[in-house]
Amino acid sequence: MRININEKEFELNESLTIQGLIDTLELDIRSAAVALNRAIIPKGRFSEVILKENDRIDLVTIVPGG
Amino acid sequence: MTVDVNANVANVANIDREENLDSGYKDDLLKIGKYTFKSRLIVGTGKYPDFKTMRDAIELSGAEIITVAVRRIDFNAGENMLSYIDQSKYTLLPNTAGCYTAEDAVNTLRLARELDVFKTSLVKLEVIGDKKTLYPNNEELIKAAKILVKEGFTVMPYMMDDPVAAKKLEDTGCPVVMPLASPIGSGLGIRNPYNLMIIKETVSIPVIVDAGVGTASDASKTMEIGVDGILMNTAIAAAKDPLKMALAMKYAVKAGRLAYLAGRMPMKLYAQASTSMEGIVF
Repeated sequence: MRININEKEFELNESLTIQGLIDTLELDIRSAAVALNRAIIPKGRFSEVILKENDRIDLVTIVPGG
Repeated sequence: MTVDVNANVANVANIDREENLDSGYKDDLLKIGKYTFKSRLIVGTGKYPDFKTMRDAIELSGAEIITVAVRRIDFNAGENMLSYIDQSKYTLLPNTAGCYTAEDAVNTLRLARELDVFKTSLVKLEVIGDKKTLYPNNEELIKAAKILVKEGFTVMPYMMDDPVAAKKLEDTGCPVVMPLASPIGSGLGIRNPYNLMIIKETVSIPVIVDAGVGTASDASKTMEIGVDGILMNTAIAAAKDPLKMALAMKYAVKAGRLAYLAGRMPMKLYAQASTSMEGIVF
């Protein structure tokens, strides 16, 4: 299954939830936010939402800025 | 020459104690909506040579609010800036840098709200209208502010120095307006002090000058106008020695504020002797 994370294509061998993806990528959940197909997904739903073929995921964090 | 950060921090602490003796200054707090701050200097986190310099410059500036951007995670990047920021000490302010429409700015802040590092409802709203000058688009800004205020954000709008737009933003429910002094990162200082004065007179909310300050005298002059605070980034980050400039800015903002509160002497065309002639011998 192909998904797009931050504008890059990834191949998933197994079905994953957003939480599963975050765990796989070893992201700190406190400093990461997620949009799925441009819709913001609240943290409370990370374990319910299962990723599908061609999903576009945006994983964001904070970076330096003025 | 190197700066001993710990020594500087200790000196700064001593000066703060002296200032606290002045009761008229101690209670001079910056209020933004329901939030209260002692420092009138807000600093950005961008453009520093490294995270350590960023951390130390922020510390020396005395700022309590620091701005950050929200971007896609770069999986190839090294360290995360968060390991250099004491989240119990600073209020992190998400910005909408790079957004050119109200919709993009609103969505950026809705996404930012999901990040636990933002512990207040404070946000820096910017909607850019032009790539070359990075001047804000006040029309889109007001549109975005309306939506965000309704959604419970405490909106701090970076705006063109337009008194009419400032009033509109106040009416929209923004608890502060942030007009520019000159273009972002230009270091040109205040191009139009009179507009800032008019904005200060027009609105009854705090006015924070955001962008354009180049050096300490710019910061003092800005505060002497009577505005309530300054937000700056490049002036500190792009100085040859960001740590010394951070300290300079801390003092400049305080000096300018104190001078404003003190009220300057009237200007006169001719000299007026400081020393009395009474009892003069020769």
